[in-house]
Amino acid sequence: MVKTDTKIEEEIRAIFSGDTPWVTIVWDDPVNLMTYVTYVLMELFGFSKAKAHELMMKVHTEGKAVVSTGSREEMEHDVARLHEYGLWATLQRGDQAL
Amino acid sequence: MTSEGFKRHGSNSYIAEFAENEREILINLAEQIIELLAERIDHGHEDPLAAMVGITSHDSPPEDEVLHRLLPNAYQDQADSAEFRRYTESTLRNKKQAHAMAMRMYLKSAADGIIDLDHDGANAWLGAVNDIRLALGVRLNVQERTQDELELLAPDDPLRGVYIVYGWLGWLQEGLIEALMDES
Repeated sequence: MVKTDTKIEEEIRAIFSGDTPWVTIVWDDPVNLMTYVTYVLMELFGFSKAKAHELMMKVHTEGKAVVSTGSREEMEHDVARLHEYGLWATLQRGDQAL
Repeated sequence: MTSEGFKRHGSNSYIAEFAENEREILINLAEQIIELLAERIDHGHEDPLAAMVGITSHDSPPEDEVLHRLLPNAYQDQADSAEFRRYTESTLRNKKQAHAMAMRMYLKSAADGIIDLDHDGANAWLGAVNDIRLALGVRLNVQERTQDELELLAPDDPLRGVYIVYGWLGWLQEGLIEALMDES
């Protein structure tokens, strides 16, 4: 079936606008133990101990770190799981200033 | 406090022994979390079907500071946050209550004071203890107070006891995490 130009244009626009990734950010928190943050990141995201430790250190020293990237729905799922374990997390569009 | 904390036994068993007073403190704290979360449950929901599928009438964050920390905003944007809360907050509440109830169940069924957790049980226990620490942390105002200030709380300050329990829970949590990470 032949598509009209407008339809193709619309589809391309949809593909690209839907392409902007969203990010999940974990924020520093004075209560959560460093080992606990590392452990939760390993459990929820399957990160190696080294990778989880690196992200935890970034949260600790810089106040925040992006721990996952994907669609909005995926990031909402990640934030919900992080909240379940008491980590302070939010999601936002990847192109927004952190 | 006399417990030596959690130690790993075999491939999927994490065991700790608690004195009667320690067990009572832990049960009491778990119950406080369960009750606090229950306060947030919708009363007189206009739409039972919405309630059944987990949609709540809550779209603003809890006014209580502790509840707000346990059920935080998912977005920095208020409108997005409110929308997300309406569809997810009751699920989050249920999961947190389930962690605290699991913790209480382990403690209540351990008549001899011995708690034996498997990996999933340990995760629920960790989540519950962490929620208790978050709650105590708000009461202690750890956001503003330095560790030195907390260490120097006067013996007759009512927060002194809270700080001791807070520190002990952190130690207990740390030990269980070390035991869990031991296998990886």
